[in-house]
Order: sequence, then C-alpha cells, then structure tokens
Amino acid sequence: MKIYDVGTFNVGRANEGHLISYRRSEYLNLTTSNFSPMGTKRDWEGQPLDLNPKDTAMAGAEVESARSVLSIFENFRDELDEHHDRRERIIKKSRDITALSKKIIFALQRVRATNQPLPPNIAQENQTRFDQIHTLFEEVVPEQVGINGWRYQRQISGGIQEFIEAVSFDHYLRTQTLITHAECSARVPPQVLISEEDYLMGLYDLTGEMMRFAVLSLSSGNATATQSENTASEREKSTVASSQGGIVGDLRAIRAGFEALSVPQRHYMFRDMAKKLDVMQNSVEKVERAAYGIVVRGSERPSGWTPDLSAAVEVGSY
Amino acid sequence: MIDQRIFESLQTKIDEETAVRDPVLDDVTKEILAQKEEVTRLKAVADQHPFYKYNGLWSRELQNLVASIELCAWLGGLQEHKGPSSTSFMTIEDVGKFLDIPVNLKEQDAFHLTIEEYLLAVIAMVEELVRFSKSQSFSVWSHLIRSQARLAVNSVTLGDYTRPMQIGNFVKELFAGFQLLNLKNDILRKRSDGIKYSVKKVEDVVYDLSLRNLVPKGASSA
Repeated sequence: MKIYDVGTFNVGRANEGHLISYRRSEYLNLTTSNFSPMGTKRDWEGQPLDLNPKDTAMAGAEVESARSVLSIFENFRDELDEHHDRRERIIKKSRDITALSKKIIFALQRVRATNQPLPPNIAQENQTRFDQIHTLFEEVVPEQVGINGWRYQRQISGGIQEFIEAVSFDHYLRTQTLITHAECSARVPPQVLISEEDYLMGLYDLTGEMMRFAVLSLSSGNATATQSENTASEREKSTVASSQGGIVGDLRAIRAGFEALSVPQRHYMFRDMAKKLDVMQNSVEKVERAAYGIVVRGSERPSGWTPDLSAAVEVGSY
Repeated sequence: MIDQRIFESLQTKIDEETAVRDPVLDDVTKEILAQKEEVTRLKAVADQHPFYKYNGLWSRELQNLVASIELCAWLGGLQEHKGPSSTSFMTIEDVGKFLDIPVNLKEQDAFHLTIEEYLLAVIAMVEELVRFSKSQSFSVWSHLIRSQARLAVNSVTLGDYTRPMQIGNFVKELFAGFQLLNLKNDILRKRSDGIKYSVKKVEDVVYDLSLRNLVPKGASSA
C-alpha cells in the first residue's frame, strides 16, 4: 500500500526498474483484501485515483448503465439457457431413436428371405420398437415448432438418419423395393421434418445393411436351396438370381443412382457424402465379390460350404 | 518575400485534420446505411426460406455489420437510433430497429438477428475498441484504425487519453455481463473467453497512462 506510492515518479523517470517495483507492489496490493480487482491506482500527487466516475452525476449514469447491462445480459442468459436445454433434450431423444433403430436393424438381420412377410416374432418385436420411436418423435414435435424445426435439425438429424436406415431396410426386406421419401415421412408424425439430406444419408447406410444381409444369407447356404431345381445351363445365372442375386442387382442400381447424383462441392451435404459414397462402393463390391465366388465356384463347393466371409451362421454342418 | 498562402494552406490542412473525425463517422454512417439496404434485400430473399436452414450463409456478414454499427454508435455516430436505455451501446432491440429487422424470433420463422449473432458482434466490437484504446494512447499524431467497416479514424489528436478509460469501463461492464451467461462449449464460449484478454489489454493501457500521469484529472469517466 505504501510502496504503491512510487506512482509519484514522473514520466521521465519511470524507467524499467521503477516499472518492476511498481508492478510488484500492485501485486502485493491485490493480495491484501478490500480492494477492487484493479487495485487502487494513485495519481502523481498520491491521491487515490478513482478509475471509476468522478463526479456524482457521471457516477449515477455509470451505475445506471452497468445495471442495465446486467439486466440485458440476464435476459440473454435466460434465452440462451432455454435454447441449450431444448437442444440437449432433442439430442437425448435423437440418441434414443438411434439406439432403437439399431436394435430394429439387428433384428432384421436375422431374417433370411426378402420379398415376403417378416417372421412374426421379429415383426412383433420391431413393431413395439417402431411404436416407441413414434412416441419419441411425438415428444420431439413440440420442441421443434415453427422456426425451431430447422434450428435443431442438426441435433435430431442423426436419429432420423438411423431411423430411415431401419425403416428402409424393413421396407426392402418385405417388398424388395426402395422406400420413397414420402413413405418415410408417412412413418413419422406429420410435423417431423425429414429432409432430403437425411433421407439420402439413411439410404447410404442402407447399402451397408444390405451388404451384410446379402453376405450373411449367401454364407448360410441359402443359395443352394433355390438353385437345385434349375437346369445346368441356367445354373450360372440362377445361383445368384435368387434373393441374393436380386440384392446384387439392387445394390448396383442404388450405386448407379448415388453416383449419378451431382452434388456441388460447396453444398453442405458434400462432406458427409464423400465418405459415405466410399463406404457404399465398398459394400457393393463386397457383395459382387461374394456373388462372383458363388457363381464361379458354386458347383464345386460341397453342400454346407460357405464363402470365405466371416459371420458364417451354419458352420460345421458336415 | 514570404508567401502567406503557405501558412493559409497549412491552416486549412490543420483545420481539416481537426474536423476529420466527424466526417469519418459520417462516411461510416453512409456505408452502414448502404449495408442496411443490403440487409433489407437479404431479408426479402431469406424470408421465403426456413431461417435456420440457410442462416449460416449470412450469419458472419451480419455479425460484422452489427459490430460496425455498435462501434460507430459507441464512437458517437447513429445517436438518433439509440434507444432510451441508459447503456452506452446499442441494445439488440436498437440494432433491430435500426436495421429494420426483427430480433430473437422464437415462433415465427422469418429473417431476424439472433442473440448469439448479436453477442458475437458485441465481442468483435470490444476487440476493435481495445485496439482503438491502444492506438489512441500511443499515437503521436494520427492513427488509422481499420475495422471491418473500413472505419478510418484519421485524426486522433495527440493526447486523447480519456478514451482508454471510457473504453476500460465499458469493456468491464460488458465483461461482467458476459459472466452472467451459462455458456456451452460453443463458438460463443470461445469468443467470449477472449474478453478477459481485452479487459487486460485495456487495463494495461490505463495502467501505463496512469503511471506516466497522463490521465487528466477527473477525466477518467468523461
């Protein structure tokens, strides 16, 4: 406090040495209590230098100003809190939807045939999950009224994409067709916005599921059952012309469709797409290789033989 | 024979330089008003689309504009647009009224200025002000300050040492305000964390000035 009065040095003499001692004394000042965070600055006459307003009229205005700043910011705080809370709630819902959708997809992977009704136990199991998802979507609706629909679109988008993956896979297994955007929208409460982007991303993920499905059913030896009644001349085609063959064809068509899409590099969808396109191409090629393996070596394989792809379901049947 | 005209022209120059500050604010005001028209045009287009879908396309530019408006208003321009509030800056409502756009819409899906954009603009303005306070106190004759609005304050006369005090008070007020907010780990958080460095910078300037007895008595708040 006393040392602090080195502030009386005038400008010319305030060289480095003085500066240092000044700073240190200021530090000491701060460590003692009852000071404003700035410390007490003094003018060259040793009088405490009030950095805050001098005359009372000004002081009043300053205080008034400070108070209104605080009230303005309190208002901002409430608004921002509301926004953050709503955002978090939507993220939670989105995660729940994602988890349920993943379970649906796993259940569907246990199905072995396309283009026919799902086995009742799986259908029932999934129906309850779809119902749960529907409830979750309904809970999200009031959070996304009007302008907030797009505001929190990013937060819910993950859940929607996963949901589309589940719905489209379900749809594909039952009908062996690709679900349309309108059909997807019909599966959620009407107020829920399903953007084309989410739809597209969901379909990209669908190709991955189709790949797993195709490989799994090829490796479970399903192909032999469908080919047995075909003549030898048709064999090469028919080995994969059954449900699995259909998948290869469908995957190729989807790939062609995706690759034909022209998305400008500046489009916000572009970044996600490049990655997904790559994964999708890999999936398609994997299925093509598996199908090739069946066609070329199918006649040579012993019954129960499975292509060299992991996740074989019925190994050791001979 | 000494040509008197030399001194006359010198005097004109000097007068020009003294008067240059207000014209600068006028120029800036003109620029800002031109920008305001752009905003009106943007609003006309943006109102036809979901606001948050495309918000990112103009958010940054709008923030820059609002920061310029705030800076200009703080330096004494645009006074007629300031609301009745006792703050030394334009509130979000003032800015909205000036630009003729709604602010902080919660239900209606239309073009507006969001709280986040406004706060980010205020932070940008604070950073600009801090640079301003530095350059003012250390400038010898004139100093250029460029903000995004290409505001060039060309003739900060020697010894305008009260400004840093004002800026210091103002920045501290805002800093206290920002500390009231519960921020998530987002852009606003990152940017507002920078205010404390702004506070420090201004305090350094104030400190240097007071150390050298350059603070006019009774002028710290003027």
